[in-house]
Amino acid sequence: MVNLKELKKEAERILEEGKVKYIIGYERGTNGFWPTPAFIKNPEDVEKLIWDPTCVYNLTRFLVDEKRRKAKEKKPDERPVAIIVKGCDSRALIILLQEKFINREDVHVIGVSCENGGVLDEKKLARRVKGKKALKVEFGEKDKLIVTTEEGKTEIPAEEILAERCLECKANFPVIFDVFLGEKTKRQLDNPFHSLEKIESLSKEERWAFWKEQFDKCIRCYACRSVCPMCYCDECVVDTINFAVTADTPAEEKAQKIKWVEKSPVSSENFVYHLVRAIHLAGRCIDCGECERACPLDIPIRLLNKKLEKEAKELFDYEVGFDPDQPSLVSSFKDEDPEDFIK
Amino acid sequence: MAEEFEPKIVAFLCKWCSSAGSDLAGVSRMEYPPNVVPITVMCSGSISPLYIFSAFNKGADGVLVSGCHPGDCHYIKGNFYARRRIALVKKLLEYIGFESKRFQMSWVSAAEGTKYTEVIKDFVKQLKPLGPQTQLRRNL
Repeated sequence: MVNLKELKKEAERILEEGKVKYIIGYERGTNGFWPTPAFIKNPEDVEKLIWDPTCVYNLTRFLVDEKRRKAKEKKPDERPVAIIVKGCDSRALIILLQEKFINREDVHVIGVSCENGGVLDEKKLARRVKGKKALKVEFGEKDKLIVTTEEGKTEIPAEEILAERCLECKANFPVIFDVFLGEKTKRQLDNPFHSLEKIESLSKEERWAFWKEQFDKCIRCYACRSVCPMCYCDECVVDTINFAVTADTPAEEKAQKIKWVEKSPVSSENFVYHLVRAIHLAGRCIDCGECERACPLDIPIRLLNKKLEKEAKELFDYEVGFDPDQPSLVSSFKDEDPEDFIK
Repeated sequence: MAEEFEPKIVAFLCKWCSSAGSDLAGVSRMEYPPNVVPITVMCSGSISPLYIFSAFNKGADGVLVSGCHPGDCHYIKGNFYARRRIALVKKLLEYIGFESKRFQMSWVSAAEGTKYTEVIKDFVKQLKPLGPQTQLRRNL
């Protein structure tokens, strides 16, 4: 069990010693139930820190922002930033380290385990408590979560309200950390790609119909891109920010700049955007499910990433996010890679 | 009488092998269907998946990626990277229900003019019954 007191004590210690610039963690949000990311600089503020199944966000995204901010500062504070990570967040951190986007000495990792296997799914919880307002959720004993609503406490089996990705999580504890709180409970899953079965069993036409319906909804708000810790390119292929077309842009200049994807949210462009996004995350996505959570139109984006994770495992025996020294999926190869599809 | 459908194929050919292979087919006066729009790239490993999606998006009925045989890459290992990448693209296209017969990869060396013509002939034959590609075609 993660002892919140220990977490606060550790946070207070590193802040008082001046070891870190600040701590990225979770605090209770203004609506009283869901948390909000907390950036704690003063040792007095550590009381705000929380850790419970409502802490769904992947905070490693803020390390990407921190790096950008630091690059602009004239006299940057060279101390590391402390961050509270769950299992999936720590794997995101491993990918950032693997790609040498951030350095290990720039981050102080406080790992927490997801006791009974994970964090909540907002919709599942709302359905389970039948419209009552949940006030508090705690980790309970034996794969149960204790949910407090207006009508009192109830114990709910964890799998009923956990996020889909948490049910497919292979290791619900951090794989990289400086300080670790909680217990390591590696799970043996019969089928770690359970959520794909439904779509894979459909015929080709049905699959197309399914994804067309999903992608037609997309309004191209790019929330999935903004929230993803792996989408850190300075310029994304889907919006050429350096290329503004004005009334007097000459035709030659327009022809030289390629617009890979149109911005209009129409079916064909949405398809290309989502395909590109998925392929750019092949072998990098660690399934933190943030894209799907952030999507305002509930497009099951995670299923695209999960499929490529599965293919990487099956075709190339590549496991994502456990070893920072492993070469990335698309910049490595094996002689025995399959080539039966090549003429 | 309705005209027969002629598919438009965008072929990404490696400069060092397949492109030279297609040249060989040309200078040897071998006949093959004129449906191909060849684009020479420096290596099959330089082909971003985005090129492929974009070709379909801009109206290609079929996309062919052709590179050197494993071990023959001018840049030593570019085609091995391509092999991995293309395998993933192929799986992804299949997964979303795209007609995956429209996308093909082949190994054609500079000496294989005949193989190049055969690859194109087979690909055209494969594409004709499928009709025009409308799934990813830009439709604004």
